[in-house]
Amino acid sequence: MNISLIKQYHENMPMAQAHDIAITALQRLGLEHIAYKRNPSLNNEERFCVMLLRAVMVRDAIVIIDRPFKIIPHLNKINFFLDTLKKIEDFYINCHIYDYKWMSERYGDLCH
Amino acid sequence: MSFLEKIGHFETNLSKSFTDIFFFAGIVLLRMFRRKTYSSAMRSVLVNQIYFTSVQILPVFIAVSIIFGSLLIGIVFQLLKGLGLTGFFGNVLMGLIVTELSPFFTVLLITLRSGSAINTEIAVMKVNSEIKTLETFRIDVIDYLLVPRVINGVVSLVLLSSLFSVVLMFSGILFSKIIFGISIDAYINILLNSANFSDIVIALVKCAVFGFFITLIPIRFGLRASHELTSIPIAVSGGMVNVFTAIMIIEVLSLITKLF
Repeated sequence: MNISLIKQYHENMPMAQAHDIAITALQRLGLEHIAYKRNPSLNNEERFCVMLLRAVMVRDAIVIIDRPFKIIPHLNKINFFLDTLKKIEDFYINCHIYDYKWMSERYGDLCH
Repeated sequence: MSFLEKIGHFETNLSKSFTDIFFFAGIVLLRMFRRKTYSSAMRSVLVNQIYFTSVQILPVFIAVSIIFGSLLIGIVFQLLKGLGLTGFFGNVLMGLIVTELSPFFTVLLITLRSGSAINTEIAVMKVNSEIKTLETFRIDVIDYLLVPRVINGVVSLVLLSSLFSVVLMFSGILFSKIIFGISIDAYINILLNSANFSDIVIALVKCAVFGFFITLIPIRFGLRASHELTSIPIAVSGGMVNVFTAIMIIEVLSLITKLF
């Protein structure tokens, strides 16, 4: 529901329409079952996806992810984040990921 | 700290608190009359709030109204008969029970149920940084969170208080028949003759003012919570004490208004 709120508030979109967009976005990530769950009942991956979807609901979104491995600490590689971003790439214009230099090995070839 | 300093400190805090609440009330009131406030998101919250406060409570509220109202009407009518004041029962019913006790009873019930819930909800949102997240997404907290709750308070109080009055008047039919042996037609006639339009308007305005402050004060105190869990009970108890003080002040002010 928090995902659809952005569209409802900023674009004055009717609740049903904003809700459909949020559900569609969750379906792309295979997470439609968490649509009515609250934050504390989500695991780290689900929470990251919700935060990302909420961010891309803004019109002409530019996504900045600050230290992604702080959100999902048990991951060793960047692949999960990249796969997730790929699935919803039409929702945002650009994405920047920032992290400390000593985390570079988790990013592989992406690091610059 | 000397005794006089303590009094001064208390007075300073009290006036600061009053100024803060009235300034905040002014902001919320202005937003209530701004068209931009009524976004799709705000309207959804408003509908949900009215459902939680006015609709969900209905079975309990009607049951309590019937039990408490019948008891009250029975006692008052019996007392009037005992004192030989049967002729004044219409004035007592309309002037005391409908315009004074109905709003008071309703405001107590809604404060205990919804005022405390709103206070806790806002304090928890503050502690969990949910309010900060809303601000990050440029969502105006006053428009989205506060105004719907305050409007809900006003609407719910007016409607539920009216419902309580209706239940009381229906109880009155039964008790006037049993105690005074008055027919329904005569009862309605007495009620209409005793009804004072200005009293009813004052009662409705009082309900609206009650509704405004019993939601506004818990919200204000909820927003005062810090980022520590221990600040939640402090915010809730402070808010509820101030709500009950506000109820008493409004009640006294309405009585003063009636005198003029």
